[in-house]
Amino acid sequence: MHIPDGYLSPVFSLGSGVVTIPAWAVATHKVRDVLNRRTVPLMAIFSALSFTIMMFNVPVPGGTTAHGVGGTLIAIVLGPWAAMLCVSVALIIQALFFGDGGILAIFANCLNMGVILPFVGYYTYRVIAGRSPVLSTRRIWAAAIGSYVGITAAALAVGIELGLQPVLFQQNGHPLYSPYPLGVAIPAMLLSHAFGASLVEALITALGFAYIQKQHPALLTALREVVSGGDVPTGEAQALPLWRIFALAVPLALVLLFIAGLITGGGRLDHLFGADWSQVSWPDVGIMLLIVLGIAVVLLPLTWLLLPARLKRVGTFFMALAIFAPLGLIAPGFAFGEGSPEDVQQAFGYIPQGLRDLNGLWNAPLSGYTINADFFTAPNAPLWHAALGYEISGIIGILLLVLVVSGLMLLIRRLTGRGGGEAEVSGKPAQPREGAL
Amino acid sequence: MSLEAEADGGQVGGQVSRGQEVEPLTFSRRERRQLRRQLGWVEQTLAGVTEAIERAVFTEEHARRPGWLQGLDPRIKIGMFMVTVLAASLSHSLLVLLLLYGLLLLVARASLLPFDFFVRRVWLGIPFFAGVVILPSIFFTSGGPRLFELDLGPLHLGPTPASLLGAAVFVMRVGDAVSLAVLLILTTRWADLLKSLQILHVPQIFILLLSMTYRYIFLFLHTVNGFFEARKSRTVGFTSGGEQRAWIVTALVTLMNRSFQMSNEVYAAMCARGFTGTIRTYSDYRLRSGDVLALLGAALLAIGLFFLGRVLL
Repeated sequence: MHIPDGYLSPVFSLGSGVVTIPAWAVATHKVRDVLNRRTVPLMAIFSALSFTIMMFNVPVPGGTTAHGVGGTLIAIVLGPWAAMLCVSVALIIQALFFGDGGILAIFANCLNMGVILPFVGYYTYRVIAGRSPVLSTRRIWAAAIGSYVGITAAALAVGIELGLQPVLFQQNGHPLYSPYPLGVAIPAMLLSHAFGASLVEALITALGFAYIQKQHPALLTALREVVSGGDVPTGEAQALPLWRIFALAVPLALVLLFIAGLITGGGRLDHLFGADWSQVSWPDVGIMLLIVLGIAVVLLPLTWLLLPARLKRVGTFFMALAIFAPLGLIAPGFAFGEGSPEDVQQAFGYIPQGLRDLNGLWNAPLSGYTINADFFTAPNAPLWHAALGYEISGIIGILLLVLVVSGLMLLIRRLTGRGGGEAEVSGKPAQPREGAL
Repeated sequence: MSLEAEADGGQVGGQVSRGQEVEPLTFSRRERRQLRRQLGWVEQTLAGVTEAIERAVFTEEHARRPGWLQGLDPRIKIGMFMVTVLAASLSHSLLVLLLLYGLLLLVARASLLPFDFFVRRVWLGIPFFAGVVILPSIFFTSGGPRLFELDLGPLHLGPTPASLLGAAVFVMRVGDAVSLAVLLILTTRWADLLKSLQILHVPQIFILLLSMTYRYIFLFLHTVNGFFEARKSRTVGFTSGGEQRAWIVTALVTLMNRSFQMSNEVYAAMCARGFTGTIRTYSDYRLRSGDVLALLGAALLAIGLFFLGRVLL
């Protein structure tokens, strides 16, 4: 996330100091008021810690590694103002002495990772944590969500800054600095973080917070004891039972979906997600749901039992996807990115030339994700017929994919010589240790 | 996945006994991938730590050489850096940027920096990355005649002279800015660099913070190096990703707890040595005529480059 020099216009880079420098000034005063002369050693050592945390490679599921920033965790322990100073100092040292991130871009980088990240992270944490005791499980969730939101907000800020460059600084229509407009830069930064770095950061923060609670709870209260001079109620560690997590998460997800639907549907209740729900015949949907459920009850346990241990989870997951896929048929309109040219014409009023040329290159046997038989595609057939066709074609598709992939794997293994033979990690034969015996 | 399930294929470790044919230590592909997963993140962190220490040592070493830039006053160097990097950032002409880069190579030579290192460090790092970032924008361009066209279904791609020039200017500008930063960093000792920040009106408390932080970074790097070396040398067999993450978090929080204790001790030590909260520094820098001439030269160069860019466009 470190922006190098040359990506931002120097006017913009130095101009972001208008926000960053006053923020530093306020932070210095706030921290000095609380800590007095202790400011310098504490801040210096935590800045060094922040620098070191950024060097940690965290193993991520899937075999790769990622870096954490740790800004939110430091903000939870030291408070947002102190965290702001610590992360900023670490960033300045990275730029000045290690050439990581531009020198002119210091203000912009400190704004993103030093100011926005700890502040958004910390206050999200505070809002979710509420008045719960310091040792409660709710605070772990609050730390995870806070750090996730914090680093995603920082990524959003980077996206906005990069995306503003072609808008603000261009010559004869040619961008002078980072060339991608807001519509490209923001989604690129947001998506790559929301599904990658932010998840890692949330995981590390949650695990770190839980460990602090368990082993060093003083870290969570010591500073506040300094400030308030009194004792801070720590409370008891209490595990949130799984059912309660689900009871919280499911309604929350539903409410979020509902709000998203209202926004995309223009605020009309019968047009959630932009679809006309009054066209749906609900008895048909009921029958379809019943049949889908019946199939799931039979097929899912069967898949689980039949598959080898290695594939159990993945295989059952894909099977569940295939079985529940027809739920999408309920929605009137078309699935995003899957529409046929007719759907596109209905929606936009015209067919792009390229789409018309490309379409019809290949007439698939399972075209439209269903089977070309009257039983499934007849215009008056009940909804569950279509659903069944959808499902069967989905399962066939997955089986085909598995066949193709495993065939390829087999071929590759044959070509590279049986797969298990080569020894490169430790190619040297073990020396017989005769002298030792 | 369970450890037992992972350890079934291939042969690990030959049985060693006197007089028998020794079976070579072989690993199946899956085990090799497992091994990489076991130690890859440890080794990457160790490599990062080592590189940071190495860079710092390297910098100090080069900052002590008797070159031209090393001999200049650090405050003057900061001023020179600021004016030239501003001129480079404001310039939109490829010719001017190339000219500046040529000058930078000469300055690097005069400052006794190893030539290949200077070029390699600059061009293999960030500008290469910048080149990858800029690549799509060369092809997705609108307007102007294209040099050649690629038809990918509905997409018509192709570079125009303007988009190529724009990309070259962008990469060259990043290259110049990074070269300037490397020149400044490699020829100035960090203590001097920090003190000279005073001319930019950076408050004393920040400079003290920066210098203390820089000092403790190496202590922490050393500690982290110890953590990871210990982990690496004691890892036998396969552990799950969950265990690895749990370990790394333990290391992180342990470091944080140590930071707290250390800050208490450092504060006590500072108090014992008479620290009262006011910060005093001494500086015995004196400007010489060579310094002033260098700054003037850099300023003239920056202004010249700026106007040359305007004329050439």
